[in-house]
Amino acid sequence: MTHPSSALDDTIHQRVRLGILAVLSESRRADFSYLKEVLEVTAGNLSQHLAILEEAGHIQIVKGFEDKRSRTWITVTRKGRTALASEVATMKALLEGIATIQRA
Amino acid sequence: MNVDEARESLAFSEHARKRARDDVGRPWLALVLLGSLSVASLSLTDAAITVTGLLWVFAGPLGAGAITLYAYRRNRSIGIDSSPAAYAAIAVGILILAYAVGWIGYVFHEPSLARVGPAFIVVAGYLVLAWIERKWTIAAVSLALLAVTVAIIGLDLTSDQSMALLFSLYGVVLLAVGFNLRAGRQQLL
Repeated sequence: MTHPSSALDDTIHQRVRLGILAVLSESRRADFSYLKEVLEVTAGNLSQHLAILEEAGHIQIVKGFEDKRSRTWITVTRKGRTALASEVATMKALLEGIATIQRA
Repeated sequence: MNVDEARESLAFSEHARKRARDDVGRPWLALVLLGSLSVASLSLTDAAITVTGLLWVFAGPLGAGAITLYAYRRNRSIGIDSSPAAYAAIAVGILILAYAVGWIGYVFHEPSLARVGPAFIVVAGYLVLAWIERKWTIAAVSLALLAVTVAIIGLDLTSDQSMALLFSLYGVVLLAVGFNLRAGRQQLL
């Protein structure tokens, strides 16, 4: 029998990466500076997390220019949406299970 | 990952999700609220047969459209891009149902249904929207419109009195939308 926590995805359940996917799942796309501001992280830190998620196929990053300034738009992929929903459900189930044991 | 970290991660992602949802929905909610309020007003007053009334009926949705365009452009400039599809579907759904109820009342010679039916549809639509968006302010607008509708029917108000009441409600909603956009702007700058 496998432990329920083995269902957790290491690339997602990190706090900032979970936050990135949560923001992207609510929008068509978000840009780098919006994510940086909402998640209250540094540019370097955010870049690292984005690279991990992109490598895992959970997000797509498109760099370009708009109104003479560079913009980096990030979109969540179908795989990313599914992974986020599954991860949140697993985490909630685990926490609920722990709470039930603690109440008993 | 320990329990506290898991709880913290979930809380953090929920906070981020709520913030994004607020930013994304802000422009479209103005359009749904103000646009459908004009339609409810059309049935509750004689707006359709007066020049100023008609101006209001067209000016309302147009004003809402202008607010939406402004908020959409601002959201894009600060870095979040959203699809209006869900909100457009809600707005169109409310409008179709409201017109349908009004039409049924007209065809079957039920003037009271034709008069209050569309307003009740808009009230119900707002309540559904409030539940989906988890926003008590939309529920408050819904209850206010319900109260105005009941007052108009129960007290048998004249068209001018009804118009004044609905104008007041429209003004309050417009102010609420304005404050909401302002609050969002301060949060993002």
